[in-house]
Amino acid sequence: MKNSLKIILVVILAILAAGCIGGNKTPQSVSEPINLVKMGGQDMVQRLGTGEIAGFIMWEPYPAIAITNGFGKPLLYSGQIWKGHPCCVVAYDYNWYRNTTNADEILKRMALVQLKSVEYINNAKAISSPDHEDLIKYTMEFGGMTDPKAANLSLSDVEFVYTPNIADAQTFITRIQDFGIFDSGKWNQSGYKNASDYANALINKSYSDWASQNKNANLSSVALKTPVTIRYAYLTNDIHELPFYVGWKKGWFKDAGINITLSDGTPFLNGAFEMQKGFKSGAVDIGSLGIPPVIIHRINSNDFALDDARVEVVAGMNNEGSVIVVGKNITSMKDLSGKTVGYPGPGTIQHVLFLMEADKEGLKVSY
Amino acid sequence: MKVDPGKKGFVINILSLICFVVLWHFLIILARNDIFNIPFIRLRDIPTPIETWYAFVGSLFTQIHGPALTYGIMEHMQASLLRVIEGGIIAFIVGVPLGIGMGYSKPIGNILNPIIEIVRNMPPMAWIPLAVFILVAGGSIFIVFIGTVFPIILNTIHGVKSIDERLVDAAKTLGASESQMITKVIIPSAFPSIIAGLRIGLGVGWMAIVAAEMVIRSPVGLGYFIWNMGDLGRYPEMVAGMIVIGIIGYIMNISILLLQKRFIKWVD
Repeated sequence: MKNSLKIILVVILAILAAGCIGGNKTPQSVSEPINLVKMGGQDMVQRLGTGEIAGFIMWEPYPAIAITNGFGKPLLYSGQIWKGHPCCVVAYDYNWYRNTTNADEILKRMALVQLKSVEYINNAKAISSPDHEDLIKYTMEFGGMTDPKAANLSLSDVEFVYTPNIADAQTFITRIQDFGIFDSGKWNQSGYKNASDYANALINKSYSDWASQNKNANLSSVALKTPVTIRYAYLTNDIHELPFYVGWKKGWFKDAGINITLSDGTPFLNGAFEMQKGFKSGAVDIGSLGIPPVIIHRINSNDFALDDARVEVVAGMNNEGSVIVVGKNITSMKDLSGKTVGYPGPGTIQHVLFLMEADKEGLKVSY
Repeated sequence: MKVDPGKKGFVINILSLICFVVLWHFLIILARNDIFNIPFIRLRDIPTPIETWYAFVGSLFTQIHGPALTYGIMEHMQASLLRVIEGGIIAFIVGVPLGIGMGYSKPIGNILNPIIEIVRNMPPMAWIPLAVFILVAGGSIFIVFIGTVFPIILNTIHGVKSIDERLVDAAKTLGASESQMITKVIIPSAFPSIIAGLRIGLGVGWMAIVAAEMVIRSPVGLGYFIWNMGDLGRYPEMVAGMIVIGIIGYIMNISILLLQKRFIKWVD
């Protein structure tokens, strides 16, 4: 009995000591690291308002809501960190594609509606546009906002696009490889030689190319002969995905012969959920989400025997559109040293952007 | 030849564990080969014991990637254990005097009983939103405290009320003062029950800390680790973290049982 007691005490002490030893491996930095803490967008806004966090990096509309409420000010727009960085995309489930005879035709129309929606939004952003009021209404509905000022501000930060960007996706893949986010065993199973190989397999530009060639065509003139139903998924209140909402509300998908039904689980809380509970479980045919969860889960969550988490990008949604928002006493990244900053989670584009900026400033980040 | 029953039990325990691991391995392999499946469960996505072992070894210590620092399981384990120990100590300091007071004095019992009865029926997880939105710091420790304090209070009350009346009468006859009665008779007699309460409480506290760390914005902790790994689709690391949680809980339980047997010699 005495021996058992001794063994257990030694085990507990060893665990605590090992933790301390591990803790000593923390790299020494002149300044204190910035403490990144994962939290939801609404929580970030609230915590910044009460002063419990010094700042956050997040997608729109949360920065706009925090700024218009007077809780904080923009420190850096994501485009200042990485010009034209990729963000949300439209993606399709590979198994749906394999089992659908006219999948290519459907995806071409999806890309065309995306193009028309993006053009509509980009034109209607101008206050002088006759569509501006409608656009603000759609933005407030989709973003869960009550203040038109916040809606306007959030729109101004986002660059809506329809062409997916292979080169920037490749850069992003390289970054998250550096951070060790990919499961190395799964990466080996995938068979991709490098980031470029993976980015080219992930993004199919033929649909957006077709859409560009047919951009002046009337949707009903290119509509599918037999209408189809697509189970679509999107993220909660994410302004980056506004082009989908506009196309849906305007009835443009229907005009192109595509009936949209929202998939089980929509709207999803984040891209990781949409990938795992939506695409992987077969509940989603096509959806919009951030390219980071697509890139990560197509490797980490994929069962390569079934290719159940294999998704491919059909069109872009937006570039940029995230902001580092900080409290009143912060004027530079260095001021965040030793303070708590909210971020949406590991492997998100916001995470990568923040790490890039911290690295540039010679600042360390801890969790 | 006679086999020592203790050794026989130990061998059966080890065999049972080995069988479990082998069964786990083959179930996953069968599922991955489409030979066996359970509806609504993606069995094939569960990592095999070998994959889990490699993930465990690979994520034991601090790992540094680029400008970011990510912690290993050891750091997460240490953070969670410290929270449980801190919450447990606070619960012990608060729970034991309260329990003695309620068990020893009827008026105190009558005053506090209705409050304790209502509050103790709120599960620790129901306190998480309060810890998130109201408490400025120490939310996870608070959740452990909530999970631990009520078993300690109730067991202390039970221990005090179960004292042999003859002991109390004898002490009174020998002229023991009120404070002597509590320190020399009540506490030693109720101690086994108090320790039993602590054991149950820490078990609840350990379960609560994992849930709390998933929700409360905690930089480290095993609950945080397994949720993050799930978020990234790193299922072998996630399952390795789950197993570590189970093993720590088991070690904590056994440790207190052994301490109880080692130090409370007057209980048979």
